Amino acid sequence: MPIEPVLTKRIPLDPAQRKTYWYDDYIATGGYASLRKAIDTPPDELIKIVTDSGLRGRGGAGFSTGQKWSFIPKEKKGAHYLAVNADESEPGTFKDRYLLDYDPHQLLEGIAIACIATQVDVAYIFIRGEYHRQAKVLERAIHEAYEKGVFGQNGVYGSKYKVECHLHRGAGAYICGEETGLLEALEGKRGWPRNKPPFPAIAGAFARPTVINNVETLCCVPHILERGPAWFKTMGTPSSPGPKLFGMSGHVNKPGVYEDSLGITLDYAINTLAGGMKGGKFKACICGGISMGVLGTNQLDVKLDFDDVRFKGGCLGLGTAGMIVMNEHTDMVLALRNCVRFYSHESCGQCTPCREGSAWMRKILDRIVDGRGRAKDLEMLLELEKTMGIMPGTTICGLADGTAWSTRTFINKFYDEFAARCPDEPTKSVSLKVTRGRMNVVTPMGSNTR
Amino acid sequence: MAWIAENRQRSVPTDGTPALTESLKAHLRETYFPRYPTRRAVLLPALHAVQHEYGWIPPQALDELAAFLEVSSGEVLDTASFYEEYWLKPKGQFLFQVCRSFACEMMSMCEPGRSCGTRELSNHLQKKLGIEVGQTSDDGRYTLVELECLGACGTAPVMLVNDVLYENVGTETIDQILANLPADPHDFHDPTVTWQEKAH
Repeated sequence: MPIEPVLTKRIPLDPAQRKTYWYDDYIATGGYASLRKAIDTPPDELIKIVTDSGLRGRGGAGFSTGQKWSFIPKEKKGAHYLAVNADESEPGTFKDRYLLDYDPHQLLEGIAIACIATQVDVAYIFIRGEYHRQAKVLERAIHEAYEKGVFGQNGVYGSKYKVECHLHRGAGAYICGEETGLLEALEGKRGWPRNKPPFPAIAGAFARPTVINNVETLCCVPHILERGPAWFKTMGTPSSPGPKLFGMSGHVNKPGVYEDSLGITLDYAINTLAGGMKGGKFKACICGGISMGVLGTNQLDVKLDFDDVRFKGGCLGLGTAGMIVMNEHTDMVLALRNCVRFYSHESCGQCTPCREGSAWMRKILDRIVDGRGRAKDLEMLLELEKTMGIMPGTTICGLADGTAWSTRTFINKFYDEFAARCPDEPTKSVSLKVTRGRMNVVTPMGSNTR
Repeated sequence: MAWIAENRQRSVPTDGTPALTESLKAHLRETYFPRYPTRRAVLLPALHAVQHEYGWIPPQALDELAAFLEVSSGEVLDTASFYEEYWLKPKGQFLFQVCRSFACEMMSMCEPGRSCGTRELSNHLQKKLGIEVGQTSDDGRYTLVELECLGACGTAPVMLVNDVLYENVGTETIDQILANLPADPHDFHDPTVTWQEKAH
């Protein structure tokens, strides 16, 4: 059931045929028509259309975009800002790179529409420092958009809405992908996430109301406006409508970014989209960036949408839908060590459970990889992961939850492999059940009640 | 606009003249001051600009930036030392950054003995360049680091050489890259960037 390409309609599957669509090419293929429509639509109506479409944020948390926009105060008492999150640093995630590389104006159109809907004056595209080419593409595209009257003080295509758009480059810190960490980096500070409340919609960048959206989310917006919320809902599942970019990587024959509707199965994603397994049989799959945890050997039938991966798959969620597929030769202990090393390296050092917890977990895993593991180590890893994150309520942001969920799912789903490297008899107190942390907590990752 | 990743490698003045030159100041004042409501927000672009001028951020530039942006030098150091991409000590003309995150490292295990992942790349580079990870060669030409995800997992393993990304890298690709490096780092460009950068 492949869908007609929406976000990737200007990006062919064959890498040799891809090219960057600059302003003229973009206009020639129907671009900026939605923006002209948006100028004539009242802002409230725009927010309602996006809310009706059921668009959920594509940056990992899956929060309703329309709702997020509606939190911005209607009565304007000063500047409003939009921060576009192009700090794509989650291992396994490389979808925004495609959108920025080949279709930058699709993003700029989404930005302009979002700015009109939420009365934003200045949009900052926060792009990670390592995306050199993408930053250059965007810089040129923004320059074009200014020249053609999309941005600037003359108003969007001469209308009353005045929108500025600037590129802001990060400098190599994973934590700046967290929305409040991003705001701190935007303000020229170290990227330490902020405590919420106040939420960014009330006091975000420069203490003004701020919308923060992912690149892919904003790229969906022009299409929703052009073809209506009902059309958007024809794709995907009732709770997760729309098209989604699936980043397939790892041990598959045809890795790459594929667009399909939400709710396809993992089996379909691997065998139909990505051309099947390479080098051996399927063993495991990271389901949406390493923070979300891992899907086990018997979970090929899990549906890839925001809910099924979470409740049936036993993972934290779909995340960014960046799948890293692993075949039977993969050493799961080494794989988990890689995850935990990432978090211990990228922990910003603000909250003790994350800073110390991930560092000690890394030391324990180094020991297991070196062949000096003890049964006690597994118990300790599972105890440590329970103490860190916003779910147990010990850290400010969700980075530590990534450490916790990857550790938890890896050890629980591949327990025998870990136990074999930790030679003593496994102790009885190790829980084999996937636990979900404290229940009935509303977290920024979405409601945790079910 | 040369701020993106050009590495001009100018030598840092030692005769008491400021590292934050008048032309740099004018560039920051004209391009970045109007973009942000506060001076401190200019800090990240300013640090990038200084780094592109010298290849690293000399300590005296931190103090001069603090005075220029009207923030304390402690605040400047606080920000500069947090981000990995800012080099507070000199680095080589060519910076080799090998991705060591999940997809790139797992590629070694795809077909054991035959596939190439982070470990193979890094070992090969260490042998070729004669330096270990984190070191700079004695002639100041190469620096080798391993870093976390570069965001190109679909074409793993990947590495960055200055601002150019190489995808699906194998040991023979590395030999080719090394053989084709120009003598002058200014002649090293991303071949896919075919346009002139302009500021708006």
